[in-house]
Amino acid sequence: MDTDQTRRVFLGQAGASLGLLWLSALTPDLLAQAHAHAQEAGKSGTKAYRFFTPQQAAEFDAFSTQIIPTDDTPGAREANVVHFTDYVLSSIDTDQQAQVKDALKALNDQVAKAVPGAISFAALSSPQQIEVMKAMEKTEAFGVLRGFTLTGFFSDPSMGGNKDNAGWKLIGFEDQFLYKPPFGYYDAHYDEGKA
Amino acid sequence: MSATPPQRQYKLTDTVDFVIIGAGASGGVLARELSRNGFSIVLLEQGPWLTTKDFTHNEYINWNHAALTNDFRKQPTTFRKTPKDKAVKQPALVYGRMVGGGPVHFTANYWRFHEIDFIEASKKGTIPGTGFADWPITYADLEPYYTKAEWDLGVSGQAGASPFDPPRSKPYPLPPMPIKSSGVLFEQGARKLGYHPFPAPVAIISQSYQGRTPCEHCGFCMGFGCEMGAKSSPLPTMVPQAIATGRCEIRPQSYVRKIELDTNGRVTGAVYFDKSGKENLQRARAVIVAANGSETPRLLLLSKSNRFPDGLANSSGLVGKYLMFNTNSLAGGLYEHPLNEYKSIEVTRVIHDQYELDPKLGFYGGGGIDARFLWYPISFAFAGLPRTLPQWGSEYKKALAKYFTHSMTLAGHTTSLPVADNSISLDDTVKDAWGLPAMRVTYKDHPDDLKTCQYMVDRSMEILEASGALDRWAYPVEESTFGFHLLGTCRMGKDPKSSVINSDHRTHDVPNLFLCDGSSFVTSGRGQPTETIQALAFRAADRITALAKQNQI
Repeated sequence: MDTDQTRRVFLGQAGASLGLLWLSALTPDLLAQAHAHAQEAGKSGTKAYRFFTPQQAAEFDAFSTQIIPTDDTPGAREANVVHFTDYVLSSIDTDQQAQVKDALKALNDQVAKAVPGAISFAALSSPQQIEVMKAMEKTEAFGVLRGFTLTGFFSDPSMGGNKDNAGWKLIGFEDQFLYKPPFGYYDAHYDEGKA
Repeated sequence: MSATPPQRQYKLTDTVDFVIIGAGASGGVLARELSRNGFSIVLLEQGPWLTTKDFTHNEYINWNHAALTNDFRKQPTTFRKTPKDKAVKQPALVYGRMVGGGPVHFTANYWRFHEIDFIEASKKGTIPGTGFADWPITYADLEPYYTKAEWDLGVSGQAGASPFDPPRSKPYPLPPMPIKSSGVLFEQGARKLGYHPFPAPVAIISQSYQGRTPCEHCGFCMGFGCEMGAKSSPLPTMVPQAIATGRCEIRPQSYVRKIELDTNGRVTGAVYFDKSGKENLQRARAVIVAANGSETPRLLLLSKSNRFPDGLANSSGLVGKYLMFNTNSLAGGLYEHPLNEYKSIEVTRVIHDQYELDPKLGFYGGGGIDARFLWYPISFAFAGLPRTLPQWGSEYKKALAKYFTHSMTLAGHTTSLPVADNSISLDDTVKDAWGLPAMRVTYKDHPDDLKTCQYMVDRSMEILEASGALDRWAYPVEESTFGFHLLGTCRMGKDPKSSVINSDHRTHDVPNLFLCDGSSFVTSGRGQPTETIQALAFRAADRITALAKQNQI
């Protein structure tokens, strides 16, 4: 993942081609390590970060919470998006650490530009945060941080995000091994002869 | 990763009858057929030998981390639109990289080609700037092998349901899969417009078949391996049957770098890196390359010699040329009630009314449209909503909740014309993890391909409207920068100057070297190539067996 174009593909900004769905790769060994890491993190319940500094984690948490806010259902924060991102960046996606660091720096630069004297993005009011994000929403930095937010919110819970299936519950997705027809409203009301 | 199952083992010093390179859609079929016909086989596969126990529903690992496919970090590709452009390192194509190949992770759409697909050039005329040509075989030649593929692998469908279907000698072995809400809505909309929707033929078993249990509708087909073994890839079918002959050895994680040639101009075996990185030579009386439409030409181009300085069997200069991806059109629709498209297989209804478009439209092409589930949760969040909606924040969150269970996608699958500049070649600078030149992809859709694609988007939008969609949206038609179907790069033909292999899949240049996979295609068909790849493999096995028995290899 070492070109701008690759990153654009990853972030789904390269158009609607199916190509955005197919990306880089890992060896089975690395995958095994990743699973082990996820299980360990899940067991211990520790929230010590392996990649983020506490400040970076706070900034990304604030950003991701604006991408998928908390309302009457859990948002990115409750789904542990920060934990997911820290986990993948310290295990199976180490090659993407630099672009996340760059993206967080770009976020801070935008804060400094938009709100002189501000301590951090996380310390801004919610309307200020939204204003900062709108000003940079076409940038690659925004896309990187949004991308990890969405991935963490909807990935398999074994990866450390999507806690208690928060993302899947929001959209009505269930991961089961067995369904029986009818699957939805229209096939339940299907009349084969009817045009 | 699972250990290699017990099987016949050959020594490197043994000269086996055939080395087959690639254990995928075609290689799996060839291995079973030739081993059953009494030949000794070593099947070299660059990917691992996974089993159903290794498959998961983890979208992130399967898609973003290529659990079942080629590994960009180890095997980078470069891409450019035309030979004048500088190639940039980026993911340019995907293929199944494991025992069982692409059909392990495919959506399982299983379409025969129609009669027209083999004779387009003589029926429609040549097209300037393309290598549009007839195949040296016809639909009638391949029909028995389509039937064999459907019965030996296990395909569900309804014969005669489409008025556009070519003639067939037998019905499908299994009834169609149950219709989904997308199929119902699509059927209603398409019929209102006078089209002829029919149950999608799929290489997924709807009932128990040959010792395998049927699909349980878990929903994880496209991009995933089937934990039930209900998807009829070579993995639960051809592979164990080949092993059971006692004449076939599969060597996973064996990455072939060169096919050896002797001074008589005959190939003698394949040189490969095993999983420890050690280089081996497996000797064979003949070699069959079934490594897919990108790796097959790349391997020939890597196998240079004094006799073939431009790559093995490349006297025509056409190895790697005429790459065809097929184009894909996409449109989405939102409905009042839940569809729950994430349940069961992707596609249950298709139309072929646009298979042969009227040349009066001013462009050449055609295809089919299906209704499907396309976006798993992560990809849905990235790209599943209409672009006119907010893509983050409160309104975005509300839209995600509203659209996921209530929407479907219409996908068009269409022709790509064979253009010589569209190609697989060796990159000048980028290397893979084994130090070999990386694959360079050059690709720019023919203008007619994009017009065909747009035509299908427009028809899809009409069908969505006719089906009562509350909201509908089209995805823009853009030039391809990434390939899923890898076709045409070692095309079949009668003339050694304008093709690489003959209709027996034998290279024109080397008598004991055969190529059989998507690279053999002359034209692209209509976007679902797997059944034709496998029918070709069944036919090639018969042809190769006959030649071997007549002592002509």
